[in-house]
Amino acid sequence: MIVKRGIAVSHGVAIGPALVLGTESFQIPSRFVRVNAVESEIVRFRCALENVCREISTNEQLASQQIGEKYGAIFGAHLQLARDPKLIGEVESLIRTRHYSPEFAASQVLRRYAKELQNLGNHYFAERAADLFDLERSMLRHLLGEQREEVANLAEDVVVLAHDLTPSETATLDRKHVRGFVTEVGGSTSHTAILAGAFEIPAVVGVGHFLADVSGGDIVIIDGNHGEIVIAPDDETLERYRDSAERSRSLAQRLLSRGSRISKTKDRVRIEVFGNIEFPEEAEHCLERGADGIGLYRTEFLYLTTFSQRSEDDHYRAYRQVVETMGDRPVVIRTLDLGADKIPGAAVRAYKQRGNPELGLRSIRLSLDNLSLFKTQLRAVLRAATTGDVRVMFPMISSLMELRQAKMILRDVTEDLEDEGVDYRGDLPVGIMVEVPAVAMMAEEFAREVDFFSIGTNDLIQYTLAADRSDPAVAKYYNAADPAILRIVRRIVQAAVQADLPVTVCGQMSSDPKFVPLLVGMGLRQLSTTPLAIPEVKEVVRSLTIPQAEEILGRALEFELARDVEVFLRGELKKICPDLVE
Amino acid sequence: MTESDVTRRTVTVGLPNGLHMVPCSGIAKLAAKSASTVRIVGNNVTADAKSVLDLLQLKAECGAELIVEAEGEDAAAAVESIVRLFETNFDPDGDRPESANTDTALP
Repeated sequence: MIVKRGIAVSHGVAIGPALVLGTESFQIPSRFVRVNAVESEIVRFRCALENVCREISTNEQLASQQIGEKYGAIFGAHLQLARDPKLIGEVESLIRTRHYSPEFAASQVLRRYAKELQNLGNHYFAERAADLFDLERSMLRHLLGEQREEVANLAEDVVVLAHDLTPSETATLDRKHVRGFVTEVGGSTSHTAILAGAFEIPAVVGVGHFLADVSGGDIVIIDGNHGEIVIAPDDETLERYRDSAERSRSLAQRLLSRGSRISKTKDRVRIEVFGNIEFPEEAEHCLERGADGIGLYRTEFLYLTTFSQRSEDDHYRAYRQVVETMGDRPVVIRTLDLGADKIPGAAVRAYKQRGNPELGLRSIRLSLDNLSLFKTQLRAVLRAATTGDVRVMFPMISSLMELRQAKMILRDVTEDLEDEGVDYRGDLPVGIMVEVPAVAMMAEEFAREVDFFSIGTNDLIQYTLAADRSDPAVAKYYNAADPAILRIVRRIVQAAVQADLPVTVCGQMSSDPKFVPLLVGMGLRQLSTTPLAIPEVKEVVRSLTIPQAEEILGRALEFELARDVEVFLRGELKKICPDLVE
Repeated sequence: MTESDVTRRTVTVGLPNGLHMVPCSGIAKLAAKSASTVRIVGNNVTADAKSVLDLLQLKAECGAELIVEAEGEDAAAAVESIVRLFETNFDPDGDRPESANTDTALP
């Protein structure tokens, strides 16, 4: 039995056999080939290489069309590498003269070159070794005929273990059979965390190296409440976890049964609780849990699930599905937030080539840099808004200039639709995510130019505390309970309240029940949480009075350390809703 | 083969990150079109310009001086096209994808 600790990002307990994804090295079945098979093995190598090249070309085209020429160029370079005459010559010569299997030969040659690059002594070149390892992987995959189909067609329930989950991989996961996620890297707001929230299954990330300690099929317990995983548990441990899984299921059931009631505080103040969604079908889950609307509809998944071209109608259909499900309830559609930790699978490398992706060309910046991408999406939003209560929101705005630019594009698109005589709604409310500290500082000015604020605490925390949210090495610096975060969030809320502007928090902070009294105390009357957390958040709201919430805020602001704030808030939650604290 | 069949030109690397994967692949792509043998020499390394892996071994950083040479029937044209890559900083339309500062790459 091995116990490992990580960061709990999606609560609950899952127990099941392990499915290990994306182990760095493929098993090479045989290192040598028979002498009389050399020619046919060379043909097999060339076929595999041809397939690798075809795959890269497709990615190159898609990347160029969707993200821009400069990203396409990265794949162009990979293509050139795969066709390198020296490389091919050396592999074929190893097969011919030393009777290496194509798998073994390709692996040997690529790894030797990678090592040479690593030894060049230049950091930038050394990183390019990763490109060679990547090429080795795809070469082996094609040679071995392994397409990771097992992930899409699972026969039994499994827990998925991986170094990291790439969006494209998780998109093909068979949701019916995946019971939980564990990854070696990642932080509390990583893609895996968001995805686990969307799948409503437990997840632990940032565990560090552990894949070597587990084989596929081993029973693994994922404790998403405490951030622990247990590999090959003994009977006693297994029994204990089965009991605890049962208990949390019954609590969830109980909360759910009260979920549809309108959430008012004990002193009758209405607090709206919205859901954050990723996939259109999640709108249904939000309704079941009594959501007052969709506070954040992330639209990236349209791009992350596949890297193929997405048409205006693809967008439109997805948005319509959500709008129709929600009826008159508000649906806030956020425009593409691609980049950094949320990037189309095939383009991961392209982004990683940049030194500091979180501060780079991502989100609204990427949209403004790729107007056709942006306009396609905006057209679909405006067309989907003809019924219901659709609102549009721009992510990661950092200056008024940028906001005005985005609004101007929106106006252009409105005019285009008008000229074309297409059915659309042009006067929908326009809001921004407040997630860059610069906007928090300028909140009063921004309040004059938008219809609502939505505080994206995930990025706001990472930018305010200068801690990369996806890097486990700095995970301890990333803390929603930091006194600086309390102050910056309060500042934004105050500016909005003064301007009589609707404001909500849609980051993970509002999905954590212990922060709910604090946020209500600040003056927030709308919260947007993961669908799974809606019943809990409503439960806290119903057990609270406004003066009580204000007092909790006042006392929380007196602490100087994140740790003290956390302990205090947990204690207060225990007084308000003992059920929700373990 | 006599010296007159060989065309040689000296170039300087102007890319902030040096001659990395993308520019190397640009060179290899052009060189592969040529019927001549094309080499790039620098840092005590002679690289086959048709091989990205070879070109990477030049580990040419910003400011490095390299010699582009080719021998064969279209040697002059091959060298000319590769030199042009260096002269335009691997940037045919003024869009500088690999510049270190993303902001300057924006229109």
